[in-house]
Amino acid sequence: MAQAPSQSELQEGQIIAPGHSFGTITDKIGSIVQARRTPKRWWTGFLIGFTLMMLLFLTIGNLLARGIGIWGNNAPVGWGFDIVNFVWWIGIGHAGTLISAILLLLRQRWRTSINRFAEAMTLFAVACAGLYPLFHMGRPWFFYWLLPYPNTMELWPQWRSPLIWDVFAVTTYATVSLLFWFIGLIPDMATLRDRSKWWIGRVFYGILAMGWRGSAVHWHRYETAYLLLAGLATPLVVSVHTVVSFDFAVSIVPGWHVTIFPPYFVAGAIYSGFAMVLTLAIPLRKMYKLEDFITDTHLDYMARIMLTTGLMVAYGYGIELFMAWYSGNVYEKGLIANRLIGPYRWFFYALIACNVVAPQLLWFKKVRYSPWTLFVLSLIVNLGMWLERYVIIVVSLHRDYLPSSWGMYSGTGWDWSMYLGTIGLFFACLFLFIRFLPVISIFEMRTLLPEAHVHTEKEAKP
Amino acid sequence: MIPQELPPYGLVAEFDSAQALVVAAEKARDAGYQKMDGYSPFPIEGLMDALGHKANILPLLVLIGGVVGGLIGYSLQYYTSIYSYPLNVGGRPYNSWPMFIPVTFECTILGAALTAVFGMLGLNGLPEPYHPLFHVERFALASRDRFFLAIRAVDPKFDLIQTRKFLESLGAKEVTEVPQ
Amino acid sequence: MSTAPVVEQPNLPRWQSIALLVGAIGIAICLAGLAFETTRVHVFRAWLVGFCLTVGIALGSLVVLMLQYLTGGDWGFILRRPLEAATSTMPLVTLFYLPLALVLSSLYEWADPAKVEADPHLQHKALYLNVPFAWIRAGIYFAIWNLLAFLLNRWSRQQDTARDMAIHKRCEALSAPGMVLYVLTITFASVDWVMSLEPEWFSTMYGAMFGMGQVLSGFAFAVAMLVLLSRRLEVGQLTGGNNLRDLGSLLLAFVMVWAYLSFSQFLLIYSGNLPEEVPWYIYRFEGGWKYLGLMLVIFHFALPFVLLLSTNVKRNRAMLASVALLVLLMRAVDLLWLIVPAFHHNSEAVNPPLGARLIYVAALVGMGGIWFAYFLMQLQRWPLAPAFNPYAEGAVHGAVAGH
Repeated sequence: MAQAPSQSELQEGQIIAPGHSFGTITDKIGSIVQARRTPKRWWTGFLIGFTLMMLLFLTIGNLLARGIGIWGNNAPVGWGFDIVNFVWWIGIGHAGTLISAILLLLRQRWRTSINRFAEAMTLFAVACAGLYPLFHMGRPWFFYWLLPYPNTMELWPQWRSPLIWDVFAVTTYATVSLLFWFIGLIPDMATLRDRSKWWIGRVFYGILAMGWRGSAVHWHRYETAYLLLAGLATPLVVSVHTVVSFDFAVSIVPGWHVTIFPPYFVAGAIYSGFAMVLTLAIPLRKMYKLEDFITDTHLDYMARIMLTTGLMVAYGYGIELFMAWYSGNVYEKGLIANRLIGPYRWFFYALIACNVVAPQLLWFKKVRYSPWTLFVLSLIVNLGMWLERYVIIVVSLHRDYLPSSWGMYSGTGWDWSMYLGTIGLFFACLFLFIRFLPVISIFEMRTLLPEAHVHTEKEAKP
Repeated sequence: MIPQELPPYGLVAEFDSAQALVVAAEKARDAGYQKMDGYSPFPIEGLMDALGHKANILPLLVLIGGVVGGLIGYSLQYYTSIYSYPLNVGGRPYNSWPMFIPVTFECTILGAALTAVFGMLGLNGLPEPYHPLFHVERFALASRDRFFLAIRAVDPKFDLIQTRKFLESLGAKEVTEVPQ
Repeated sequence: MSTAPVVEQPNLPRWQSIALLVGAIGIAICLAGLAFETTRVHVFRAWLVGFCLTVGIALGSLVVLMLQYLTGGDWGFILRRPLEAATSTMPLVTLFYLPLALVLSSLYEWADPAKVEADPHLQHKALYLNVPFAWIRAGIYFAIWNLLAFLLNRWSRQQDTARDMAIHKRCEALSAPGMVLYVLTITFASVDWVMSLEPEWFSTMYGAMFGMGQVLSGFAFAVAMLVLLSRRLEVGQLTGGNNLRDLGSLLLAFVMVWAYLSFSQFLLIYSGNLPEEVPWYIYRFEGGWKYLGLMLVIFHFALPFVLLLSTNVKRNRAMLASVALLVLLMRAVDLLWLIVPAFHHNSEAVNPPLGARLIYVAALVGMGGIWFAYFLMQLQRWPLAPAFNPYAEGAVHGAVAGH
């Protein structure tokens, strides 16, 4: 195995450390998967995730036995932790496709080393998100009633309901993300198949590689398909969180019926998604010594995107306040007053501190180049985005038009255990992914080397 | 009955760099070879041109897939809301087209994306568990850091000895005969 | 790369005099319209539409320029000079605003003391919507926009001679806060100038939608100008191959974002169906306005969208320029559709008489003509390709690749 270059040679603006060859890239990423020993740190992380996942199964078992009464949902707050967490997870699930698709279309080559695990993160986050509406149905075994199929009840879905749009948007998104991720894996599966010294590895990766052999004709169609998928995934990813925002904005509840919601939700989703990518990337590159591939420049770029989307989200909060006053509408004004001085005001102030104030540090280059400060900031933003959904959902619902039906809400122990449980599911899946599939796209990393670029006859001619 | 000896699949030549493969492909194309293919661990811009292959029809298929998906999405909503079970919801018209757009959009994307993925796999003939080239031991490096050019025996210009000489003259590191 | 001889050079001074002449005729018609009681009010409204169009192109160009400093990329390099020339029309646009500032009470209910006295709703908003504060705010907006345009132009000139990376960095450093300032100012400016024409109506999306319309105006204008000028060889060579395609893709993206914001607002208001919101769309679907709305759906979104999906269209100079000009024309239609039906209370807004319609065309052509002449004057002051730029090499490469 060739000697990998050291981190100190890296300069600002570089997205791959100098001195790598096709072989060293292959070995460095491949060896994470095809290592003889599983590192202790991997076991620690996986077991924590696995334990929390058991908590999820316990909660779901109890939920199925006793019903969703074990949650804190009540009248008037019919949507509580379940929808807060659904939106939180689905938002996190936006960064993967965004990095893979939009940055590909914008020819941002730095995406190469982070797109694979960001896509995996997307899939697991969408899976976690999907659990909430599924179990909120109360009788999840009838979930197929949401789908349009001819049935003996002679009923069809209510096409004017954004909740049905959500079914279509989220299932389409999950399907396309899975395909996009799988397509990206095929050439690397072939690499692992050919690299494998053990027959089980050859069979496992061989099946997944589907007979890929790097033919030029195949590559050509592959690249076309990948680019087309990126072009399709870009509007799709925007539409998904737009439809999530429609779940609220199509209604006439003050605080929900807000026209800025679609772009503001999309910006928030990207914001939380990049925060989660940073939360994962910083420990990951430390754990597997991937600083050659996930450089400080990558962290800088992601921090800039976080700052931008954070400012957009801040714009959303501001314009809501201004328009509520400007409208002169008593319910709009009442909502804002309740947000600012009502019983849940501290949630709102904490949200502003996490999502608006703290990220202003990212204006400073020093902060963007300090991985552990970024790590802490990314955790703060993750928390802030959770609070944002809590403020939007609970604070808008608990006091709407009719004061006689006002009420209060708080999550129960089972709400929290379900939330912790999905976090466990997310990390357990993520650790399994890190162990068995390449976390960084090997073949795309190869194209970053100068040797990957050739001069053709055509170029030589004037 | 299995014949005693099948004709070979062709010859495969190994090269050190992407540049060498492209130059070799260009020369082979100019020499009149048609049934050939290059193999590399990553996509190489210009290799398709060098091999003399034409552009593909995938974009057209994807466009058709998207249009069909969108039409199915909208007509499903139209049929169920206007013919099958007309239902007055909040005084909106039966054909509330603005509210039918989200589902139509998702169906368009789904149709196009499924076509892109399965169209690509289908046109490439994948999954393909067996391929003659897998017999060549060094071909495993095609997924690592080596570059290969294969000329098939079905090519009209193919001749086991002449073609081997030709490939060697292109600076191939090693030329191997591939059994069927 | 060998330099081809200059085949056909657009005669910019000649274009400039034609634009000036057409502009003068348009303005003269508007001035004549002021003389008649029946058309006077239409002149004010038409002037507002023309002002919004020209300020939209100038500000949109400013945003695209700053966006390019922030994100880098080769496409910005070849678009740099048309964009800069468009931003340097800011003083003229400021001048265009001045007549409006004097007739606020003829356009806005909140500027008319008699109406404010009769309406408690307007009294609530008077804290924000009042004449002195509106003037102060307009002063702040124009000060910020003029300053940003001036600095970016000046530094770009300095960079041409000094060839100093530090100046480029300075432009980048200004662009980040510049974008923040633009978003804030345009949000309030769109409320002051357009949304408050119907003071009872409100939408949080409005500022974003209006701003996106400006970005689209600026970008479509710059792309169209670049292609028309591309026979002037120094930039002409750079519009080949991938560079042109990238511009087409960006135009497609901007068209899609505009449609996304506009449709989202429509869908939410349509589904809410609340009495304080939905009349805004009802007025815009009355009489002939619904045909204008339909035109927007087809020619502002559907047709450019379908055309720009095709790589062949994006690589074809004539086609790309036509699509960009179509989008620019539709920007004017969109502004008409946003602004004129707002006057449904008082006079023939639903179905304006022929003379009034002429006024709208005259104002758009007149202000557009004068503005275009001024733009051409700015454009001719400097060479069409920036002399020094970190992206120059990439732009040259992009023009060759992909032929």
